[in-house]
Amino acid sequence: MQEALPYKTWLPMPRKESLLSLSIGKATSNGNSASSFHYLKSSKAELKDTIKENAVIVFGKRGCCMSHVVKRLLQGLGVNPPVYEVDDEDENEVIKELERINGGGGDDKDRGRVQFPAVFIGGQLFGGLDRIMATHITGELTPILKKAGALWL
Amino acid sequence: MHSTTTQYVASRRMGLYEPMHPIGMWGDFKGNGCPNASASTILQVETNLDNQSEDTSHGTLGTPSKYDQEASKPVDKVLRRLAQNREAARKSRLRKKAYVQQLENSRLRLVQLEQELDRARQQGLYAAGGLDISQLTCSGALNSGSAAFEVEYGRWVEEQNRQVNELRNALHSHMSEEELRLLVDGGINHYFDLFRMKETAAKADVFYLMSGMWKTCVERLFLWIGGFRPSDLLKILSQHIQPLSDEQVLNVYHLTHACQQAEDALSQGMDKLHQFLAESVCRAQLREVNYPQMEAAIENLEALERFVKQADHLRQATLQQMSGILTIRQSARGLLAMGEYFERLRTLSSLWTKRNSEPA
Repeated sequence: MQEALPYKTWLPMPRKESLLSLSIGKATSNGNSASSFHYLKSSKAELKDTIKENAVIVFGKRGCCMSHVVKRLLQGLGVNPPVYEVDDEDENEVIKELERINGGGGDDKDRGRVQFPAVFIGGQLFGGLDRIMATHITGELTPILKKAGALWL
Repeated sequence: MHSTTTQYVASRRMGLYEPMHPIGMWGDFKGNGCPNASASTILQVETNLDNQSEDTSHGTLGTPSKYDQEASKPVDKVLRRLAQNREAARKSRLRKKAYVQQLENSRLRLVQLEQELDRARQQGLYAAGGLDISQLTCSGALNSGSAAFEVEYGRWVEEQNRQVNELRNALHSHMSEEELRLLVDGGINHYFDLFRMKETAAKADVFYLMSGMWKTCVERLFLWIGGFRPSDLLKILSQHIQPLSDEQVLNVYHLTHACQQAEDALSQGMDKLHQFLAESVCRAQLREVNYPQMEAAIENLEALERFVKQADHLRQATLQQMSGILTIRQSARGLLAMGEYFERLRTLSSLWTKRNSEPA
């Protein structure tokens, strides 16, 4: 499995076989415990499962500060979402897969199309940073998170 | 002094060349036997006195009294006052003429500048070569998109000041709620206009927008991702919207809290961007042809545009949410408070600039 390092260099690195499980714990710099995965080309099924299993999950490109904003905001609310970091080369595949999981982008273009960072709540695509911010300000986000089981208070 | 003139007139007609005491003169008229001369001089005097349109001057024909002397004193004052008034009016008219002339010239110049700007924008000129744009903007806007934004923003500020005055008058005059609602909606939409303008400007040159050079210096002090902090806004508002109902207090508290959280998340995202950027620049090897690390850095810079957009969305959402919580009258007071606050910041900036440019 690839190392889940937060600041991976852009020089191509050989994929390491050993799984550094510690790296999942300290995937982010500030010592918080949000876990971080890397997409494996062969684990499309895993992707679907991951989404279903987690009340909230964030998909973002590696090195993208916007997904950091989403993560921080959710953490501020008391949610600790796992963050799925996607490499550049896998980006299109992941998007296609996510759209497929969500139910295809045929009929409802806007909702079907996935842009990073993408947030899934309760197994459903919720939206991007825009929607998170907007619903947060209006106060709609917290009840939605509670309903999905991401928050207990 | 009029009395003196009359004396002289009288003297000339009588052939005498010595200034005489007016009472004595009258006395002489009465006493001696020069009725014609005296009549004509008296007539002369009378017409002179009549010109003053003073009641005391009428009917003084043949009355050699000391009242004439005293009547002539206020008459003198009045004459002098009228003369000064005429003079002041004349000067005022001249000043007004000069001012209007100046205005006309400025208007012509403005039209010229706008035409130049349009031309330059169409040709897609950059100010590095084009003197027109650099004359237009004193703050280093480096492309025509930013220059256009600066001009638009100048107009926006003028309109803003006008709306603030309108709001102030409306609140003092106890306008009806429907009319006030129009003003409030207009005010809020005006801010939304600004956010739209900023989105266009960010596409043209995000660094210009984020530098805040389009704002005055004191406003720049409070700059946060290309604009004001939404939490600052709420602080200003909260002082001017009392009294609030219990439900409103709760909603405002929630909004303030949510706003602060969103602000913090964005700030931390910006810190992360700094970090990533610094790292990719550190790692970049300029000798390589493709600059892949520089590409990474450029991607980070492109993220800036999204940050500004998110920050503006946050400002807009906060305003919108607040206007939903408040009554029309409270919203009006809030908008007025905001407008006055920013106006004061701008005034402070110009005071400071003047102070600094004065010789020691």
